[in-house]
Amino acid sequence: MNHTLVNLIDISKSFGDQVILDELNLSIRENEFLTLLGPSGCGKTTTLRILGGFESPDSGKVIFDGKDITNLPPNKRNLNTVFQKYALFSHMSIEENIAFGLKISGKSKAYIHDKVKYALKLVNLDGYENRLPDSLSGGQQQRVAIARAIVNEPRLLLLDEPLGALDLKLRQDMQYELIRLKNELGITFIYVTHDQEEALTMSDTIVVMNQGYIQQMGSPEDIYNEPQNAFVADFIGESNILPGMMLEDKLVEILGAKFPCVDVGFGKNKPVDVVIRPEDVDLLAPEEGTIQGVVSHLIFKGVHYEMEVQANGFEWLVHSTDMFPVGQQVGIHVNPFDIQIMHKPESEDEEAIGINE
Amino acid sequence: MNKRKLLSGPYLIWSVAFILIPLAMIFYYGFTNSEGHFTFENVLAIGTVENFKALCLSLLLSLISTLICLILAYPLAMMLSNMKVNRTGFIVLLFILPMWMNFLLRTLAWQTLLEKNGVINQALGFFHLPSQQLINTPGAIVLGMVYNFLPFMVLPLYNVLSKIDKDVIFAARDLGATAAYTFRKIIFPLSMPGIISGITMVFVPSLTTFVISDLLGGSKILLIGNVIDRQFQQGSNWNVGSGLSLVLMVFIFISMLLTGKYDKNGEGGMF
Amino acid sequence: MKKTVRNIYLGLILFLMYAPIVTLIVLSFNASKSRAKWGGFTLKWYASLFQDKAIMTALYNTLIIALLSAVLATVVGTAASIGINAMKGRSKTIMMGITNIPILNSEIVTGISLMLLFIAFRVTLGFSTILLAHITFCIPYVILSVMPKLKQTSKSTYEAAQDLGAGPVSAFFKVVFPDILPGIVSGFLMAFTMSLDDFIITHFTKGPGVDTLSTKIYAEVRKGIRPEMYALSTLLFVSVLVLMILVNTSPKEPKDRKTVSKRKSLQRGLRLAIPLLLVAVLAGGGAFYYFAGAKDAGSEKLIVYNWGDYVDPKTIELFEEETGISVTYEEYETNEIMYPKILSGAIAYDVVCPSDYMIQRMIENDLLAKLNLDNIPNIKNMDSIYMEQSRSFDPDNAYSVPYCVGTVGILYNKTMVHEPVDSWDILWDSKYADSILMQDSVRDAFAVALKRRGYSLNSSKVDQLIQAKDDLIAQKPLVQAYVVDQVRDKMIGNEAALGVIYSGEAGYTKRENPNLEYVIPKEGSNVWIDSWVIPKNAKNKENAEKFINFMCRPDIALMNFEYLTYATPNKAARALIKDEETRNSKILFPNAEDLTNCETFQFLGDDVDSYYNELWNKVKSN
Repeated sequence: MNHTLVNLIDISKSFGDQVILDELNLSIRENEFLTLLGPSGCGKTTTLRILGGFESPDSGKVIFDGKDITNLPPNKRNLNTVFQKYALFSHMSIEENIAFGLKISGKSKAYIHDKVKYALKLVNLDGYENRLPDSLSGGQQQRVAIARAIVNEPRLLLLDEPLGALDLKLRQDMQYELIRLKNELGITFIYVTHDQEEALTMSDTIVVMNQGYIQQMGSPEDIYNEPQNAFVADFIGESNILPGMMLEDKLVEILGAKFPCVDVGFGKNKPVDVVIRPEDVDLLAPEEGTIQGVVSHLIFKGVHYEMEVQANGFEWLVHSTDMFPVGQQVGIHVNPFDIQIMHKPESEDEEAIGINE
Repeated sequence: MNKRKLLSGPYLIWSVAFILIPLAMIFYYGFTNSEGHFTFENVLAIGTVENFKALCLSLLLSLISTLICLILAYPLAMMLSNMKVNRTGFIVLLFILPMWMNFLLRTLAWQTLLEKNGVINQALGFFHLPSQQLINTPGAIVLGMVYNFLPFMVLPLYNVLSKIDKDVIFAARDLGATAAYTFRKIIFPLSMPGIISGITMVFVPSLTTFVISDLLGGSKILLIGNVIDRQFQQGSNWNVGSGLSLVLMVFIFISMLLTGKYDKNGEGGMF
Repeated sequence: MKKTVRNIYLGLILFLMYAPIVTLIVLSFNASKSRAKWGGFTLKWYASLFQDKAIMTALYNTLIIALLSAVLATVVGTAASIGINAMKGRSKTIMMGITNIPILNSEIVTGISLMLLFIAFRVTLGFSTILLAHITFCIPYVILSVMPKLKQTSKSTYEAAQDLGAGPVSAFFKVVFPDILPGIVSGFLMAFTMSLDDFIITHFTKGPGVDTLSTKIYAEVRKGIRPEMYALSTLLFVSVLVLMILVNTSPKEPKDRKTVSKRKSLQRGLRLAIPLLLVAVLAGGGAFYYFAGAKDAGSEKLIVYNWGDYVDPKTIELFEEETGISVTYEEYETNEIMYPKILSGAIAYDVVCPSDYMIQRMIENDLLAKLNLDNIPNIKNMDSIYMEQSRSFDPDNAYSVPYCVGTVGILYNKTMVHEPVDSWDILWDSKYADSILMQDSVRDAFAVALKRRGYSLNSSKVDQLIQAKDDLIAQKPLVQAYVVDQVRDKMIGNEAALGVIYSGEAGYTKRENPNLEYVIPKEGSNVWIDSWVIPKNAKNKENAEKFINFMCRPDIALMNFEYLTYATPNKAARALIKDEETRNSKILFPNAEDLTNCETFQFLGDDVDSYYNELWNKVKSN
C-alpha cells in the first residue's frame, strides 16, 4: 500500500449563492491513477483547480505530502496541470513551450535540451522542436501540453478533460499513451472527465461526483458492478433501474415477480431500487423465465445485439449474443448475483448526497 | 465565390476616388512649385531649422504622450479584462462616452482647469500651496494628447488582453512562473498586437495635432501640425504644406509597417 | 488590499476623463459669459439655446452628417468586407492596406488631400463635400469591425443554409448576417461617434453656410465660446449617459425567467428607441429645414463672407426682410485664411470684408470688382478722414467701403501694472514675465516690434526685420501666450497684466473688468480699416451692392456698432450714439493728432510676405 500523497479535508466552495463543493473529503495515494468522473457542474473541475491553486477553497484544507498547501500560489506547488484546451503559449516554439518550466527552475541549457528531446520522444513528437503550436493538429498539441507538464517531473499531474476535443480513434490512442506514461514515469495522475468509458479504461480509482458530493469511490470494477445508488448506476454504463420491494433477505419482488438475490440487511418489505445491467439479463424460452415478455426492438451492435423487451409494463434493455426477432415471446431470467439492490432516496437532498455517506 | 468579390466593387471605386486620388494630389502639390514645375524644395523645407525643430518637438511630445498612455492604459486594460463581462461593457462605455462631448470643448475645458487663475491653481491656493505654471507648457500639451487619445490605447489593449485564454496564464503559473515572470514572458508578448495598434492609434494623431497645441500651448509651442496648418490656412502656400505632409506620411508609413508585422490577423483592433 | 489599489486607480483615471466634462457642465450654468469668471447660477443658456438658430442648425447638420455617413459607410463597408473576405493573397492585402490609410494617416493629411481633390475638380465645398469626406473615413472603421466577425463565421453554416434550399442572398441574410450583426452594429456606432467628434477633416472640407458643431465651436474659440454651446453639450452628454445606463444596467444573474425576459424586452425596446429617436430628430430637423428653405425659395441670394461674429445678426434679418434677398453667412478667422479661398474660386462669395493690406493685395491680383457707387448712395455717411485713409490701399476709393476702423494698442490691468503705460517697451519688461499676451498673427506681432524701434510697420528692410525678429525672440520667454481674440477672456479673468488688443475690444473688456485700461503707445501703432469689397467672381453683384448700401445706413451702422463695440467710420451713425462718453471716446474715435505715428498695413508683395512668414516661424519655433 502506497502512502497518501494528497488529502482534501472538508473542502467547500461556492460561486455567488451556487454551492459547487460541500465539505468534500478525498485522499489520493502515491502513484495512483485517480479519475474524477461526473456530469458537467458536478464540481470535478473545481476540485482540480483547487488542487492546482487556481481557486482557493472557501473553507477546508489541501494537504500535499504532509504539508498544508491551501494558500500556496500555483507556482510554488510541486504539481503540474494539463489543461482542457491545452493552453499552449502560441508565441513560443514547441521547444520553448516545453522548456518553460525548466528554465524557471534554473536548469542548465544542456539539461533542458536533453530533457525536451526526451519529453518529445516520450509523446512521439521528435523533430517538432521549432514548430509553432498553431501549426500542429489537436492531438499533437495535446501531447505537447502533456510533455510540457511531465518534463518538470512533478509528483502529481492534473489532467482536466485533456482528451475532450479529440476524435474517437485519437482519444483511444491517447488513453493507452497516458497509461504507458504513468507506468513509465511513476507519477500520480488525477484525471477529470465526464466520459465514463475513459474513466473505466485508465483509472486505478474512480471517484463519481454529482452536485458537489462524492457519490461513490472505488475501482472501475466496483463502480461498474456494484453501483451504490441509482445515479452511479445510471451514469456508469447502461442499466435497467427498476422499482422493487425487498421482501426479506435474499428475495426481492420486481414488477410483481419474485427474484432471488444475494443482498441482505435491508429489512422486510422495504421499497428499493434494483439495478440490472443489460448484459446480465438472460433471454430464454417463455416458460423458462421468471417473467415473460415480447421483443419490441432489435439492433445489431457488432459485438452483440441490443434488444428491448416489454415485460410487466417495463421496457427491459437487453444485450445478448443470441438474436431474438421482434414479436418473439421470451422469458427473462437474472442470476441472483447480477441483481444489485440499492436504498431508495427519500428526498432530493438525500439523492444528491448519495445514500451511502 | 467571384460574385461575392464583386461586393467590394463600390468600395474599391470609392477608395480610388476618395483615398488614392487625393493622396496623389498631395504628391503632386508636394513635388511641384506654384508654377507647376517639378521640385524637391517643398519636401526639403522640413530641413529648415524652424520646421525641423517643430518636427523634433512633435516627435518628442508624441512619444512621451504615447508612453504615458501605454503606462496608464495597460494596467487599466488588464483590470477591465479581468472583470465580469457584465460590468466591463459598462466601463468600456464610460471611456467612449466622453467622445460624445465635443473634442474641442473637452480640450478647452482643460484651459479652464489649468489656467493661472484656473480651477487647479485655485484649489492649490485654498490649501496655501504655491500656484503652478500649468497652461502653455509642453506638459499641458502632453496632458491634452494623453487625455484625448487614451481611449485609443485602452480599447485595443483591452481587446487583446481579454482574448488571452485564462488557462494560458494559469499554465504559466502552474509551471512555476511568478506573477511578474508570467507577465513578462506570456501576457506582454501575447498582447503585442494590441500594444502596437494602440501605439499607432495614439502616436499618429499626437504627432500631427495642431488643435491641442493651439489651445493648451498658447500658440507658443509650434508643432509640425501647426506648421502644416499655417501653410494652408495662413501662409497660403499649399505646395510647402503638401511637401511637409509627405514627410509626415513617412512616419505614418513606418507605423503601418510595424502594425502589419505584429498584428497580422488584426487582433489588435479597436473592437 | 489589491482591490482598493485597483479601485483607486480606476477612480483616478475616471476622474481624469471626466474632470473636463464636469467643468463644461458647470460652465453651462455660469451666468457670466466669460469662461474665466463665475457669475452665479443660471439656466438662461438652456432657454436661449433653443432659440439660437445657428447652433440648432449646426447640431442638425452634425447629426444628419453623422447618421448619413454612418449608414452609408455601414452599407458600403459591410459589402466590401464580404468581398474582401472572399479574396485571397495579394489582392486582399492591398485592399486591407488601402483600408488602413484613412485610419493610420493623420486627419490633417486626409482632410487636406480631400480638400485638394474637391478644389481640383471644382466641386463646390459644402454639405455634400463634408458628407463625402466623412463617409470616406467612416468606411474603414466599419470594415475593421465587420472583418473579424466574418472570419469567425464558419463557411459551413452558410453552405448548410444553401443545402437546405436557401438562395445565396437569403442564406446570407438568414445565417451569415445574424452572426456578423454585432460587428456591423459596433462599426456603425464607431462610425457615428467618429463622425460626430470629427473636427479636422470637416474643417478642411466644409463650405460656406454649413457648420457642424465642431467647426462652429472652433470659430468661436477665438472669440470666446457662447455659453449655449456648453448647455447643448451638457444636454447631449446627459441624454447619452442616461440611455447607456438604461441599456446597460441588468440585475446580477437574474434567477427567474420572467425578469430576464422583461429586462430583455426593455433592452430591446430601448435599442429600438434609439434609432426611432434619431429618425424623429432628423425628421423634425428636416421639416425645420424645409420651412426655413421654403421662405427662401425662388428669391434672390447673397453669400456674405465676414470675420467671425462681426455683424449683429439682427441687421442681417432686417436686410432679408426689407429686400427679400436670402443671405448665406460664412465666417473666417484671419485675412490669410480668407485669401486662398477667394483665390481658388472654389466658392463664389458675393461680399467680403477684408482688412486694408489684404484689399490692396486683392486689387493687385485682380480679384475684386469695381463698385457701382450709384447703387451705394449711403456712402455719403462715411467720415471723409477714413475715405482718405483708405486711399493708401485703394487709391481711387473704387473697390472698398469702410465698415469698421480701429487701432491696435496695449490693454493693461491697473492692479498689476503700477506705472504709466505709454510705450511698447513695457512688453519687453521682465517684471511682467508670463503676464504678457501677444497677438498670434505675423503682421500684428511684427508691427509691435518694428514700431518699438521707430521703424515703419510696413518695413521691408532686411536688417530692420531681422532686428524685429530677434526682439520678438527675446520677448518670447516673457509672453504667456500668443492669442487672437482670446485676449479678451484672459484679460477679463485677470490671467495676464498686459495684452496687445484691438481698440474695439477695449470697451467690452472694461465693462466686464473695470481695472482694465487701453492705450496707444507713443511710438505709434497700426490703424486698421476693414472694408466691404465684392470679389470678381461674385454671382450676385447687385445684391452685394444693396447689402453694402444697407450696412452704410446710419441706424444699421449704429446697431452694428452697439453689437460689436468696434468704432464705426460712419459719421451719421456716430452722431446717433446716445451715450455721450462713448460718442466722445478717444479710444474709439481718436483725433488726428493721436494717430500721428500710426499707419495702415500695406501689402508688401508675395516675396516680402513669405519673408515675414519665415521670420515669424523662426520666432514661433524658437
